[in-house]
Amino acid sequence: MDCYTANWNPLGDSAFYRKYELYSMDWDLKEELRDCLVAAAPYGGPIALLRNPWRKEKAASIRPVLEIYSASGLPLASLLWKSGPVVSLGWSAEEELLCVQEDGVVLVYGLHGDFRRHFSMGNEVLQNRVLDARIFHTEFGSGLAILTGAHRFTLSANVGDLKLRRMPEVPGLQSAPSCWTTLCQDRVAHILLAVGPDLYLLDHAACSAVTLPGLAPGVSSFLQMAISFTYRHLALFTDTGYIWMGTASLKEKLCEFNCNIRAPPKQMVWCSRPRSKERAVVVAWERRLMVVGDAPESIQFVLDEDSYLVPELDGVRIFSRSTHEFLHEVPVASEEIFKIASMAPGALLLEAQKEYEKESQKADEYLREIQELGQLTQAVQQCIEAAGHEHRPDMQKSLLRAASFGKCFLDKFPPDSFVRMCQDLRVLNAIRDYHIGIPLTYSQYKQLTIQVLLDRLVLRRLYPLAIQICEYLRLPEVQGVSRILAHWACYKVQQKDVSDEDVARAINQKLGDTPGVSYSDIAARAYGCGRTELAIKLLEYEPRSGEQVPLLLKMKRSKLALSKAIESGDTDLVFTVLLHLKNELNRGDFFMTLRNQPMALSLYRQFCKHQELETLKDLYNQDDNHQELGSFHIRASYAAEERIEGRVAALQTAADAFYKAKNEFAAKATEDQMRLLRLQRRLEDELGGHFVDLSLHDTVTTLILGGHSKRAEQLARDFRIPDKRLWWLKLTALADLEDWEELEKFSKSKKSPIGYLPFVEICMKQHNKYEAKKYASRVGPEQKVKALLLVGDVAQAADVAIEHRNEAELSLVLSHCTGATDGATADKIQRARAQAQKK
Amino acid sequence: MAAHLSYGRVNLNVLREAVRRELREFLDKCAGSKAIVWDEYLTGPFGLIAQYSLLKEHEVEKMFTLKGSRLPAADVKNIIFFVRPRLELMDIIAENVLSEDRRGPTRDFHILFVPRRSLLCEQRLKDLGVLGSFIHREEYSLDLIPFDGDLLSMESEGAFKECYLESDQTSLYHAAKGLMTLQALYGTIPQIFGKGECARQVANMMIRMKREFTGSQNSIFPVFDNLLLLDRNVDLLTPLATQLTYEGLIDEIYGIQNSYVKLPPEKFAPKKQGDGGKDLPTEAKKLQLNSAEELYAEIRDKNFNAVGSVLSKRAKVISAAFEERHNAKTVGEIKQFVSQLPHMQAARGSLANHTSIAELIKDVTTSEDFFDKLTVEQEFMSGVDTDKVNSYIEDCIAQKHPLIKVLRLVCLQSVCNSGLKQKVLDYYKREILQTYGYEHILTLYNLEKAGLLKPQTGGRNNYPTIRKTLRLWMDDVNEQKPVPEPGGESCVERPPDKTKDTASIQWYHRQEARAGTNTPQVLSGAFHWPDPKRVWEHIGAEPTESHGHIVRVQWLCPSQCATGPAPLEARLAQYRGSSPHTPRAPL
Repeated sequence: MDCYTANWNPLGDSAFYRKYELYSMDWDLKEELRDCLVAAAPYGGPIALLRNPWRKEKAASIRPVLEIYSASGLPLASLLWKSGPVVSLGWSAEEELLCVQEDGVVLVYGLHGDFRRHFSMGNEVLQNRVLDARIFHTEFGSGLAILTGAHRFTLSANVGDLKLRRMPEVPGLQSAPSCWTTLCQDRVAHILLAVGPDLYLLDHAACSAVTLPGLAPGVSSFLQMAISFTYRHLALFTDTGYIWMGTASLKEKLCEFNCNIRAPPKQMVWCSRPRSKERAVVVAWERRLMVVGDAPESIQFVLDEDSYLVPELDGVRIFSRSTHEFLHEVPVASEEIFKIASMAPGALLLEAQKEYEKESQKADEYLREIQELGQLTQAVQQCIEAAGHEHRPDMQKSLLRAASFGKCFLDKFPPDSFVRMCQDLRVLNAIRDYHIGIPLTYSQYKQLTIQVLLDRLVLRRLYPLAIQICEYLRLPEVQGVSRILAHWACYKVQQKDVSDEDVARAINQKLGDTPGVSYSDIAARAYGCGRTELAIKLLEYEPRSGEQVPLLLKMKRSKLALSKAIESGDTDLVFTVLLHLKNELNRGDFFMTLRNQPMALSLYRQFCKHQELETLKDLYNQDDNHQELGSFHIRASYAAEERIEGRVAALQTAADAFYKAKNEFAAKATEDQMRLLRLQRRLEDELGGHFVDLSLHDTVTTLILGGHSKRAEQLARDFRIPDKRLWWLKLTALADLEDWEELEKFSKSKKSPIGYLPFVEICMKQHNKYEAKKYASRVGPEQKVKALLLVGDVAQAADVAIEHRNEAELSLVLSHCTGATDGATADKIQRARAQAQKK
Repeated sequence: MAAHLSYGRVNLNVLREAVRRELREFLDKCAGSKAIVWDEYLTGPFGLIAQYSLLKEHEVEKMFTLKGSRLPAADVKNIIFFVRPRLELMDIIAENVLSEDRRGPTRDFHILFVPRRSLLCEQRLKDLGVLGSFIHREEYSLDLIPFDGDLLSMESEGAFKECYLESDQTSLYHAAKGLMTLQALYGTIPQIFGKGECARQVANMMIRMKREFTGSQNSIFPVFDNLLLLDRNVDLLTPLATQLTYEGLIDEIYGIQNSYVKLPPEKFAPKKQGDGGKDLPTEAKKLQLNSAEELYAEIRDKNFNAVGSVLSKRAKVISAAFEERHNAKTVGEIKQFVSQLPHMQAARGSLANHTSIAELIKDVTTSEDFFDKLTVEQEFMSGVDTDKVNSYIEDCIAQKHPLIKVLRLVCLQSVCNSGLKQKVLDYYKREILQTYGYEHILTLYNLEKAGLLKPQTGGRNNYPTIRKTLRLWMDDVNEQKPVPEPGGESCVERPPDKTKDTASIQWYHRQEARAGTNTPQVLSGAFHWPDPKRVWEHIGAEPTESHGHIVRVQWLCPSQCATGPAPLEARLAQYRGSSPHTPRAPL
């Protein structure tokens, strides 16, 4: 413990900086870093090296090699560079490597050296060549700024959604700026450049000269610029060895420092953290590293080797051929606990726990001291927080142990912060492992979020670790395990050396029915890799037909798509496939396909009924479905044809079809209708009036009403209207005409097949009681009572009922008896009833 | 809030609120004032979900009916089309949109497909060149609409026709989707039983969809123990017969549409002394019928003969309640009486309405023709003379009674005779064609295709066997419990042996009545929860007590019921024997 603060270096009065080793690099670098283009991604990202760059005039025949390493120096990829000269390398926020070529073409590679895509920065860049390029990160993604040979800037704020912006010209700019950087203010990217003693700020509209507040005099040129990780602070290094540090808005100076070294530094970066006590700038020369801030003295380190600085959110990573170190300001919690002679509650708690382990009574003394001050909660929190900032697991453990110890003496300390810290540290230690090589600090991890970290693990193809983390943190399956499995599967389908069957089986074995996995996405990827067969196999596992079918259509497996759509029962999908098929296949093949799918066929028929009548006919013809053909022609005779001849012709076709369908009845009925139509037409010509499209029954009625009884009789005979119905018909028609004479004659023409009660009823309907009575007498005995009641002859009805000795009839009559008038009748009935009962 | 939805065993307001929320969310997506262009068919079902006031709260200022050519002028920012996914409607929308663009200020168009967004329709809109004009194209899955405390309906009138005439399963798909929504809200139903081919298809789709939704599953404790899917086709008889419950008769005579009925106004005119009916209202009286009305809830499912006594008893109770005022002496008592007044007045209004309706119905049910029709129906159902031409049907045709009445009777006879003899069938058909017109050859053909009308094949009529085994017919049912008081005013006088009340199919009646179906074309589309025990009895399966989460699907082969003379007990035993967690192979 004594030596714990040995690597702490004070800067000014308040802050300490420490540097510790992350990894010892065992990459086998053949060349010096200074001979390479270097790019390291923030958040413990990978390192890309392009050896043998063009600026060193070596033998042109040797092709340069692009190598990608993890932060711990494990090789991830190595490829021979076959394209044009590269000016600059950089990593995007998605950890894609952007290689900016001299001609303005940017080649994008994945983490494993797989070529992704390329894009160009425009014609202007192509003509004037690229002089320098910077990749910068904003909240919108990764941007790219380019300085061309014509000393103009072209900028894209997001390389994922490429919109090129050409920045305005700097007036009178003859040579390249001595240094420049991109600023990001109010969500807009600007460029700050230095030409001699002058500074210019370029935004998309204008170029303005700017000055630094409180800049020391005598500066004739700026050699280096550095913008902080969060774009809040800016530092400039001048040729006098003077460093100006201020806000990025250029409105305020924070501090200045004169290091008296006039040689231009190799790199200058900010080293600060959120809520930093003392912001500092790290300046690196060949063999010297200097940390300067608002203090008269700077911290100096000697660099044994060629080193490279990577600014991070809360510090600076420094890697060289042999080591990878992290330099940062000591976080507050750690400082409080570990500062020599610190009396902070956390420090006391840590001490108490140690004494407790030694079984010393001092533990109690320390604990009492904290408790007396009422700071135990704070002490526990401090220890938990400090544990997060420790890199070494043993230190993490001892701090957590102290926190846990302190927790025992607290009543209501919410456990989540402790638990969460344990979980987070476990994850962090796992990914910091040499084999994984992502040296994230706790702050970086929180900033990055677990989701992004999982994405990055997936990107490194570290699927098992990612899944273990998900399971350990109990992330919901849809966000966690399923997503990773899906990525794994997408990677798996790209393994071209494995057979389709094996891949499909392997994927299904792993994924099974894991919720939230979209087999269609994986299949789409397989199809994208040209493995259609595999895609189809994978789609078999896709339960959502809404996803499955469109992809099958895209892969031109329409028939399979059709059967899948039918299986799903989603008629809309079936229709979609059908219309697709219709355009794809010739008519004959299309019909054949339909024939094998009855459900699709009936849906298509519905479609045709509304949209393409002629096709419907063809469909029926193909199937020899004469019954439906007949119906089709009948419909046509009503809908399509105007003239009688046309309609008759359509009906004739229908009748023929019905004969073929062996539907004698329909055929005969159709022929009758043809006959009737012609006849109605003739009637209209001869008698005037409207006949066409009346039913036979109505035609006859119309004739009777028009006084053409002969013709009506004839028609009834011709079409063999049954006697009973004819009687009803005539009866109704004559009553409508109120032709009572004719009605009576008709009633006497022969014995009525429908009885005489209807006559009574119809007369009463026309309120002709007189006529009704005539027929009431002729009504048969069963209905006599009803008829008499209808005409209102209650007394006689009673007599008949009594005569019939029918109980039901008696009740019926009784219910018709009204008080005063039929009193006598009612009595009579009662008497008869009584008599009947006696017997 | 719709109070009547929360009285049942399941609080259906949850579903109603869910669909209302979805509607509100969609409306809020289109910021600013709005006009809705309605597919007319949808207005009825939507009325059950959201009144105009809800739409108004979300800045809906105008409503139009979807028609060709131009949209009426309206000073609104958004035009929203509420449509079913039909191609012909897409053509109209395109016409609307195209003629719109030529005029002044541009407005935002949106489209809401009910109940399903359709690729086919979007393709059509694309072909017509207007797809890009729509900012939001969304679907509103209004599949099962809460109708009453114990009833959901799809309000899909053409479902039976689509399934059996056109072999179009769209409505089955929607039913399955609707049931999935229901499960999302009320938990996964652990057991599914089904009968008939369409039921099997719906269950298959549900199982498929369940796989699709894995991952987003909820762990709500299931509210429903069992789901019973029935294919309308299993029982074609019930809808053909005349409904005899109070609600059923209202539907038979006036037709209930989306829970509303339109009645002739004369009976409902406020009776004022002095002006002798000078200004009788001419517009039909529109009433909503649901269980929110206490009286209606009591009488809706009663045989009409029993309604009169309930009404008269209720009248006495109400008048007694009004008489109370004379007993109210102290200020406190008067206050209490006054506080009950609104409720009493509502009850009186409700009683007045239903008495008027009962009178209207009584006029019909006491007519001789109604009696004759019922007699014939009952003869058919009890198997009397179903194999020859019926003279009442003949007379109906000769007198040109409404075609629908004739067709129902003929189909009823056909079903009760397992098809008609070719000669009888042809005779009926010829009579119908000659009387009502030849064009009905298509109508008749459709009925044959749907199986409602058919020639007898195989020569054996198995209806009597089914009737006996399944006890479809009960002769001694007391339609009135309790026995009506002497002199109860509105009872139909009918000999007791003519009673038609078939216990096993009675609950179908409720179903038909409420779904507003009154013609054989529109039989399907309602889901209803009858008393489960009764259903198990008839379906021949037994509910298990456990709340297992395994979905069990058991199939009862339609043919087993249709032809199998196997006694019910035997089949019951067979099912009891099978272990509750082994799914039976589909028969």
